[in-house]
Amino acid sequence: MCMVKTRGLSKYYTFGSGNQVVALKGVNLTVESGEFVSIMGPSGSGKSTLLNIIGCLDKPTAGDVYIDDVKIDYGNAGNLVQLHRQTMGFVFQGFNLISTMNAIENVWYPMYFNKVPKPERIKRAEELLESVGLRDRTLHLPSELSGGEQQRVSIARALANRPRLILADEPTGNIDSRTGKKIIDLMKKLNKEQGITFIVTTHDKAMANNADRVITITDGEIVD
Amino acid sequence: MIEAFLLAMRQLRTKKVRTLLILLGISVGVAAVVGVTSLGEGIRVNAVGEIEKSHDLTLIEVSPGVSNGNIILITESKVRAVSEYGSVVAPYTKDDYVTPNKTYFKANGISAQYMDAKDLKLEAGMWLEEGTYQIVLGSDIGEKFAKIEGAEIGNTIDARIRLYGEEGRATDKDVTFMIVGRLKPTGTDTDDQAFMDMNIARELTGKDVYDGIMVKLDKSGQTPAARTAIEKLGLTCYSAQDEIDSVNKIMNAVTLVLAFFSSISLIVGGLMIINTMIVSVYERTHEIGITKAIGASELDIIRMFLSECIIIGVLGGILGDLLGVMFSFLIDSVGRPMLVAQLGIADFEHLTVINIQILAAGFLISLVISVIAGIYPAWRGAKLDPVKALRQL
Repeated sequence: MCMVKTRGLSKYYTFGSGNQVVALKGVNLTVESGEFVSIMGPSGSGKSTLLNIIGCLDKPTAGDVYIDDVKIDYGNAGNLVQLHRQTMGFVFQGFNLISTMNAIENVWYPMYFNKVPKPERIKRAEELLESVGLRDRTLHLPSELSGGEQQRVSIARALANRPRLILADEPTGNIDSRTGKKIIDLMKKLNKEQGITFIVTTHDKAMANNADRVITITDGEIVD
Repeated sequence: MIEAFLLAMRQLRTKKVRTLLILLGISVGVAAVVGVTSLGEGIRVNAVGEIEKSHDLTLIEVSPGVSNGNIILITESKVRAVSEYGSVVAPYTKDDYVTPNKTYFKANGISAQYMDAKDLKLEAGMWLEEGTYQIVLGSDIGEKFAKIEGAEIGNTIDARIRLYGEEGRATDKDVTFMIVGRLKPTGTDTDDQAFMDMNIARELTGKDVYDGIMVKLDKSGQTPAARTAIEKLGLTCYSAQDEIDSVNKIMNAVTLVLAFFSSISLIVGGLMIINTMIVSVYERTHEIGITKAIGASELDIIRMFLSECIIIGVLGGILGDLLGVMFSFLIDSVGRPMLVAQLGIADFEHLTVINIQILAAGFLISLVISVIAGIYPAWRGAKLDPVKALRQL
């Protein structure tokens, strides 16, 4: 089954001066369910933009995105919120944990918005932190955790609502290669064991080597 | 929902000083309104208390009315109709007399019921006897007679009444009264009146109608209903409630104006909240981006900020009420001795009055202002573009 499909996906940014920057140019991409896809490309090539549009954080200028073969209606805010709550999870380069919340709170926060009852939420958050090897770090604030630990918390958070798709934007970009390897292994394991689809943008060769498929983007276009 | 408040509470706790200042800002505004309103309320309560002390609230004074351009006179049948509504119903006449020394006075022709209704009390002498030319004087007019006419209790006094015939021709009638008693001072217009037997008065003037009726009720709570019923007969009514009503009306207006001016500080408090919340949205832009990515809807973001505003409103309201009570106490303890010294009024207990309505109003004002002030910042936060928000650190 097709998890994500983009057809003629384009994104232009128009600045006040009238200058137009093309971020994506007619991208056609198909990601099967259960695939681990790595998107590579130089900075500014449009890979983050592609990820943001698939992740419904940004809107395309032209073209369509299909999730589970259903076209995303970017004008329907409620629909986008449901996709965030039920279908997809995010992992960011900068971890993006909420600094005033400890590890377990960061992990249950997505379930809070998904209206999961508190006891159930806490139980699942504990299990998730355990599964990423942070059982003894549940009450630590992000500032008290190392980069690798923070990224594992954010992976646990991405898994909170049992998504079938995880979008990761340079997840190993801010951590050293040895820790990065652990993160890659963790993501691979989730992909293999739980069948979660991964779309990962990266500069990291190690990440690309572990992917089922590597897609390269240059100047907003997929290069084969 | 409770959890939303707990999370908001935590958010406020992380910025203690800022939260405290914002609370102080809104509560000072509330305190000003509460204090000033309590002063207005205090003055109103004192004034109404004064009226209640010197007036009988169970008494309705009925006088001829005007309906559709016709004068409705108090005839015997009207008296009978009115008598259904009061426990004591005393019709009376009222005429002007003048002494040879040009002392003008009003003499009311009354019955025994009238004395009951008005609760007249003798200071000296005795009551008049029915069917005689005896009169009882109010305290002021009694003093005047003694001074100008040299007429005390036991003396007679000559008086003249001018009557107008049907063609409008005036005829004067002379009469000699015997002063038999003097009333205790009441502080009302009774002090300026003389009282005589009603039948004698009607005989003198030849009137077949009355000039007024005193209607006495058992309880003051019956007054409004009785009054409405009597007014339906076309007659005019007056009771001390009229004065209380007009005092209430004036003091409500005064209090409203005072509260309006003191509420300017509330506007400042509201602006403070708007400002702080906008700064808070700006500071938490990145966090808002994250929460949107993990599934928060715009409504969730609005709820997040408004929960904080509701907490500020509730705490500000409570703190404002407390400060307001203190402020009111201060006004009372400083203002009362000053008023007593200036005006010589000594018999009021408190200058300010705090009641539950004032406190509830203070609390609600704080809550409403806080929530209104939070709407725009919350909306701004909700509308943030997640991609831009996530990029901001």
